[in-house]
Amino acid sequence: MDRSLTFDHELAAMLPRLRRFAHTLSRNGSDADDLTQAAIERALRSEAQWQPGTRLDSWLFRIMRNLWIDTIRSRSRKERFEAPPEEAERVGEDPRDAIEASIELQRVMAAMQRLPDEQREVVALILIEGFGYREAAELLGLPIGTVSSRLVRGRTALLELVGM
Amino acid sequence: MVTDETLFAWLDGELDPQEAERIAAEVAADDKLAERAKQHRAMQSRLKGPFDRLLDAEVPEPLLAAVRKPEPEIIDFAAAQRSREARRWAPLPQWAAVAATLAVGIFVGTMVPQRSDAPVEVQGGRVYAAAALNHALDTQLASAPSGDVRIGLTFRDQSGAICRSFAQTAASGLACRGNGRWQVRGLFAAPEGQSSDYRMAAGMDPNLAALVDSTMAGEPLDANLEKAARERGWR
Repeated sequence: MDRSLTFDHELAAMLPRLRRFAHTLSRNGSDADDLTQAAIERALRSEAQWQPGTRLDSWLFRIMRNLWIDTIRSRSRKERFEAPPEEAERVGEDPRDAIEASIELQRVMAAMQRLPDEQREVVALILIEGFGYREAAELLGLPIGTVSSRLVRGRTALLELVGM
Repeated sequence: MVTDETLFAWLDGELDPQEAERIAAEVAADDKLAERAKQHRAMQSRLKGPFDRLLDAEVPEPLLAAVRKPEPEIIDFAAAQRSREARRWAPLPQWAAVAATLAVGIFVGTMVPQRSDAPVEVQGGRVYAAAALNHALDTQLASAPSGDVRIGLTFRDQSGAICRSFAQTAASGLACRGNGRWQVRGLFAAPEGQSSDYRMAAGMDPNLAALVDSTMAGEPLDANLEKAARERGWR
């Protein structure tokens, strides 16, 4: 049971970083916290699969990223039958955002939302979470060259979106 | 000439020392390049700053509560052992009642024989595929069954590891790739007196189906992806 206590403790310590990663991927603050919650629940269910001695952060981020992909897929299935959403309007529509998150956070989240999903996850891991190219490639299950070229496109777009 | 890819790799500290020194010299000698590097550095800090403030923000209570209170719906070995006592008295869902008449889930420990031809072996508290089962998991495609072991679904779990469901005459189960081996996540004995033909006709053991359901992230791999995964050594 000691192992389990350590795991819970380390998971709790990872919460701020998990929230940050969730915010880089999500449309708004409440989506981000839903994603964080889902990732925690899945991590607790899958605890036996984590190999002690390996990086817990990479493992948790992979879980979160896969959940995010699932959400996008099911959302796009759903939205095929609904009116297309106005992405720009959705960002920040959660009232909690106004209180909780700064205007700057909403602005950078909106900028991230303008990137295609496959660029956004690469930018999030490398520019914001500080993963190396190789670590990011392993986490995403992609060749390192693909990661690097998506990063070039994402960065170039962000230069316009975030300003200089 | 410095490409964007190289410039960014330099900014990110991804180049080896020699290469990094060369790019640093090029940047120092070229005003336009220096300006580009500066713009991208500034962009990154503008982008990252607001996200970084989340690290100091208070974590919402529901998230803290989620860490304190693990979900009880667990069907893997380690957790099953932990909650076996509690579960014995818990009301069973309807599918479990059906399952009880058709299949008996066995839990690891003393019940797994340690013979050289046994399909599983226990090491350090974990159960691994061995012998013919290990071979089938390594080599066999669902589209091309051969031998005693039949491979069902191949998919990735939430952590990205490859998992494969399998069925033999005596049991069916689920194994996932970890540390270069097939770790058995669940093994369910075939009911007494029922042939594997019967089980094939009846479909997947409901216990196994529930385990597969709770383990799978996304969709199962199709025949091409399964083959590609085999070629990559199930990574």
